[in-house]
Amino acid sequence: MTQSSISLSKAEKSYIQAGLLCDPPHRTDGRPLKAYRQVELETGVAHLANGSARVSIGREGVNTGGGTEVVAATKLEVEDLDDGGIEGGRIICSVSCSPAAYPHLSSSALEDLQQDMSIVLHQILAHRTLHPTNLGIIRGKKSWLLHLDAIVLSDSGNAYDVMFMAARAALWDTKVPRTRSVEYRAPKGSKSAVESEGMDIDPTVSGFDTRQLSKATDFELPDYWDEGEILDGRERWPICVTLNLVPPVHYLDATLQEEAATHLRLLLAYSFPTSSTSTLQGVRLLGPGELSFEATKSLIRQGEKYALEVFTSLEAKLRDEDFRRYQKAQAKFSRTR
Amino acid sequence: MISFTSFPSEPGLVQIHETTRHHPSVLDDMDVDDAGNDLSDKRLTYPGETLTSSHAFMRGHGTYIENEEVIASVAGIVERVNKLVTVRPLRTRLFVRYNPEIGDLVVGRITEVQPRRWKVDANGRQDAVLMLSSVNLPGGVQRRKLESDELQMRNFFEEGDLLVAEVQAFFSDGAMSLHTRSLRYGKLRNGQLVSIPPILVRRLKSHFVSLPCGVDLILGLNGYIWVSKHVKQNEQEGEEGFDAAAVYSNQNDEIDASTRNAIGRVSNIIRVLASRCVPLTDIILLEAYDWTMEQDGGVNDLLQDDVSSALVAAIQGRG
Repeated sequence: MTQSSISLSKAEKSYIQAGLLCDPPHRTDGRPLKAYRQVELETGVAHLANGSARVSIGREGVNTGGGTEVVAATKLEVEDLDDGGIEGGRIICSVSCSPAAYPHLSSSALEDLQQDMSIVLHQILAHRTLHPTNLGIIRGKKSWLLHLDAIVLSDSGNAYDVMFMAARAALWDTKVPRTRSVEYRAPKGSKSAVESEGMDIDPTVSGFDTRQLSKATDFELPDYWDEGEILDGRERWPICVTLNLVPPVHYLDATLQEEAATHLRLLLAYSFPTSSTSTLQGVRLLGPGELSFEATKSLIRQGEKYALEVFTSLEAKLRDEDFRRYQKAQAKFSRTR
Repeated sequence: MISFTSFPSEPGLVQIHETTRHHPSVLDDMDVDDAGNDLSDKRLTYPGETLTSSHAFMRGHGTYIENEEVIASVAGIVERVNKLVTVRPLRTRLFVRYNPEIGDLVVGRITEVQPRRWKVDANGRQDAVLMLSSVNLPGGVQRRKLESDELQMRNFFEEGDLLVAEVQAFFSDGAMSLHTRSLRYGKLRNGQLVSIPPILVRRLKSHFVSLPCGVDLILGLNGYIWVSKHVKQNEQEGEEGFDAAAVYSNQNDEIDASTRNAIGRVSNIIRVLASRCVPLTDIILLEAYDWTMEQDGGVNDLLQDDVSSALVAAIQGRG
């Protein structure tokens, strides 16, 4: 995490740092300190996934690559509680980085990097406070296992923010298939045979009593027009803002060169369950520098402001995307009819 | 300050025209061929896809022959000229690496320090080599290199350092050998690097460009472009009083805000022009810089789509 994926000369580093520190601050591409590059977002990019999104930031032009691009997709898998499943479902996040995104990294360094990113993404998104309520299938038997996979296709800085945006968009887009449980009912004739044994039944309900549990043994997927209901709590998924610290200033959305010239980065993951409340879902400090407690506190306060801004525009874009796809589906439907 | 947009819609395959071109003299008998195969269809190939039989057709670029069949070796669009089948790759040219020639001016970055040589990333297929004997050493023009120089190679160039050099020769494996034995070559400072596709850098009389806005440019033919603060000719580190400390310094000079702005603006212009595939020359750069100054926009405005489109339109209108 501390090792940057490109190398810069000392002169370049000091040029970038001096630019940030001069008054007024000056970045290599002329952006203000708190400005993001242009973000492009599209949901529903992978048809076989339950939800997917592609996000890219700072792409230059139509034909060229460049920019940081992350694709995230969710896939639901049925899991037995007997082998590994958890009541109410669980979420596993993983990140892989394309070697093309980091041509200068060795394969082991690349593995470390994706391990680091996976851990951050998993620890923040799979937290119990964010857990959706509709990942269960049959109480005590089966549940959904949600895999969230993100791929970093190219990196020109600020991969963490983009990754969290892509993850949030993919989870927003996720549809959980409707299930109907199927249970076994014994035919009437055989039922009397059990009762006739005259077992002594205790009327008090004991903790070990399993009769109240649903008798459902399996489930089926009803054939319905849509792909299922939306994943619960999709407003809650957090976004991340990375504050790049060159004391005494900090700036957002670093390019790869700026990242290489910045020793300390503070990742703040914020979630906004309702429009007025915010929860800090995770904090990470990356890099070899150190940060005093007082400074951290004020940065967290300012980070909330940036996060809210990112959150509101992302939310608006996601609703736009939903609308666009709804319209597209309608057009398609009316054509086939 | 953040804004979200949708991805621009990819140019649809329908819009890409590919037609079968025929020499007029063979127009008559072509119907027969077209009926027998579907090569005339507009379609994409994937690498390894069988196109046609090698008996009836000739193999062109982007294809190979295996088991008497013509097979596409790239993802692209099938083109046919008479009996010749070629596949035009979807992504090409712009993304090729730099093909060096002797005498080219390049900007490179040190990747490795090895015994008596540096490895330099110059955007080529393989790293270039800069021999210790091909750099200017402190204390004299034609001085023999000493063992002490070998021991302090990192004082001259270390990993990550940028330098401007000339392609001197090629090794037997095709790697280029660089030299910096000139006043104008050597370590770079006081600026920032912009990287563009090498094919967009035109060959010019001089690749050292001085813009009137106080910005110096080094247009490396390998697509690396160094944008820096202007240094006056007479202030450049001279050969007579060759000052190793100055030539190999990592310290930037004092750069004022307006120069920083100009450097940022020129860098953004280069990025915008490159993203629209406009070949780069000193004249185009000057015009573009004047245009942006007329528009009176911020440095960052250039990266917005409408502004950059207007810039490219204005440049191409003048040229």
